[in-house]
Amino acid sequence: MTIEQRLRTYILDSFLFTDDESVLDNDDSFLEKGIIDSTGIMEMVSFLEQEFGIQVDDEDMVPENLDSVSRIIAFVSRKRALV
Amino acid sequence: MATTLLDLLASSLRRRPHAEALVCGQRRVSYLALWNASMTVAACLRRRGLQPGDRVALLLEPSPEYVAGYYGVLAAGGMAVALNPLAKEWELAAWLRHSGARWLLCAGRTRQCEALAGECPQLDMTELGLWRRADTALSRPPTTAEPDAPAAIIYTSGTTGAPKGVTLSHRNLVSNVTAVMRYLQLTPADRVMHVLPFCYSYGNSVLHTHLAAGATVIIEPGLMYPHRLLERMAEERATGFSGVPATYALLLARTRLDAYPLDSLRYLTQAGGPMPLRDILLVREQLPWAAFYVMYGQTEATARLSYLPPALLLEKPGSVGVAIADTELAVCDPDGRRLPPGEEGQVCARGPGVMLGYWQDPEATRQVLHNGWLWTGDLGHMDEQGFLYLHGRASELIKVGAYRINPAEIEEVLLAMEGVAEVAAAGVPDPLLGQAIKVWLVPQPQARLQAQQVLAYCRRHLPIYKLPRQVVFTDALPRTASGKLRRHALMEAGTAGLED
Repeated sequence: MTIEQRLRTYILDSFLFTDDESVLDNDDSFLEKGIIDSTGIMEMVSFLEQEFGIQVDDEDMVPENLDSVSRIIAFVSRKRALV
Repeated sequence: MATTLLDLLASSLRRRPHAEALVCGQRRVSYLALWNASMTVAACLRRRGLQPGDRVALLLEPSPEYVAGYYGVLAAGGMAVALNPLAKEWELAAWLRHSGARWLLCAGRTRQCEALAGECPQLDMTELGLWRRADTALSRPPTTAEPDAPAAIIYTSGTTGAPKGVTLSHRNLVSNVTAVMRYLQLTPADRVMHVLPFCYSYGNSVLHTHLAAGATVIIEPGLMYPHRLLERMAEERATGFSGVPATYALLLARTRLDAYPLDSLRYLTQAGGPMPLRDILLVREQLPWAAFYVMYGQTEATARLSYLPPALLLEKPGSVGVAIADTELAVCDPDGRRLPPGEEGQVCARGPGVMLGYWQDPEATRQVLHNGWLWTGDLGHMDEQGFLYLHGRASELIKVGAYRINPAEIEEVLLAMEGVAEVAAAGVPDPLLGQAIKVWLVPQPQARLQAQQVLAYCRRHLPIYKLPRQVVFTDALPRTASGKLRRHALMEAGTAGLED
């Protein structure tokens, strides 16, 4: 599975409790759409670290990296390129 | 003598009209601008026919508009009913109907507002866009209020059938604010970083105490990104920060607080349930120069009932301290007799912060107010020196992060789901949030329910902070001989669950 598929499956399953792909657009803002709250972000960061073998540092924890599926895909890809 | 919160704001205005009252993103709002905006709201409400005592709902995120709206309502002689913008429309409609609010102050005609307009046709909706008109003309509030007149309603954890609206007088608000200002030793030099919801008692208290002190309130929209928040605190040279245990747990989870230049921090406050001593010690170790205040209170007591002087944190670990000024605390047996030190009973409180009652609910009010004493529903004991220790709650409210949730709210929603025969909700321990909601569900015969379906249903019908974390299926719920749910048996089963 691609990063996108793994990530979407995780978010649909863990936060939206559905397998209906149509409810989540890759550019939906998690904050604005109320998809994830502050504890959800913590869980998601742990998921990213385990699933993709990256380390998310303090300064990575910003909406530019984490606030939508598209942003996370870009962030994870960047991080993995550095490894 | 200040009679209302507005008098306290006016005194801050007189002392330093051009000082920063509010900082919100790039916006900086002086006391003068805040005052003028509040008076604009007041004048507008009066023009539209507001009578003293009329309820005005606020459906606004923490923002300068919220603050101007709140003080504007008070200045017009109305009662402020702040609603949580995260709530679902049916919850908002229930509170609006229950409070009888005729006005709703909102940020714009959102989808949420349109839905409410349909549900509550009597509502006059006013969008707040005040700041362009806020210039230098100083005006007087159009009315003065009696100290014991009701000033605000805070909706706590009732059900839709019976919302619980804690009704607070001007005296309640002013006395609590004044007591907190005194023990935190707030001055106009203070700058508090405010991340709590304004619509509940703790956030309401942090807001008004700092404005009454002539200090600056830096409004931040929550804790999604702890790193950003800490950077912002450093940039803004914050002197104070207030949180619930989950706030600190989130900050400590992935971050070292001493990695940020937070040397301006003078005090940290914590309320909203017991914070693990380990976390308190971590905060102190990383920010040793900031005084850490453990506090205790209740919406029914406006906000604060007790605080532990920071110097005694290690001497009295686990204590929520002593009563705030002018307030008396007692631990009582079920007949109302005071218990000696060391014995467990229900915590009762008396003082100027104790609410007028629940809005239009004399029966619920009678259950908690007796002869001027508030029965908090919290269990605890006092030591020989009068320091209070809490043991838990006599009631069944679930404490999730900053929120108090009545399990009946969750049950009410799930009972309407197809295939559900019986349901019970209770709080179970959660390392980050203190408690999380767990649901036990008895399906109807032949119903094929899955946990994901139940959670998806909750997601559609409940706000994000009320979502259960766990759903388990069971054949029957534990009940007493008379059929009453034994919720404590569920809570004790806790994380183990009945099914395994």
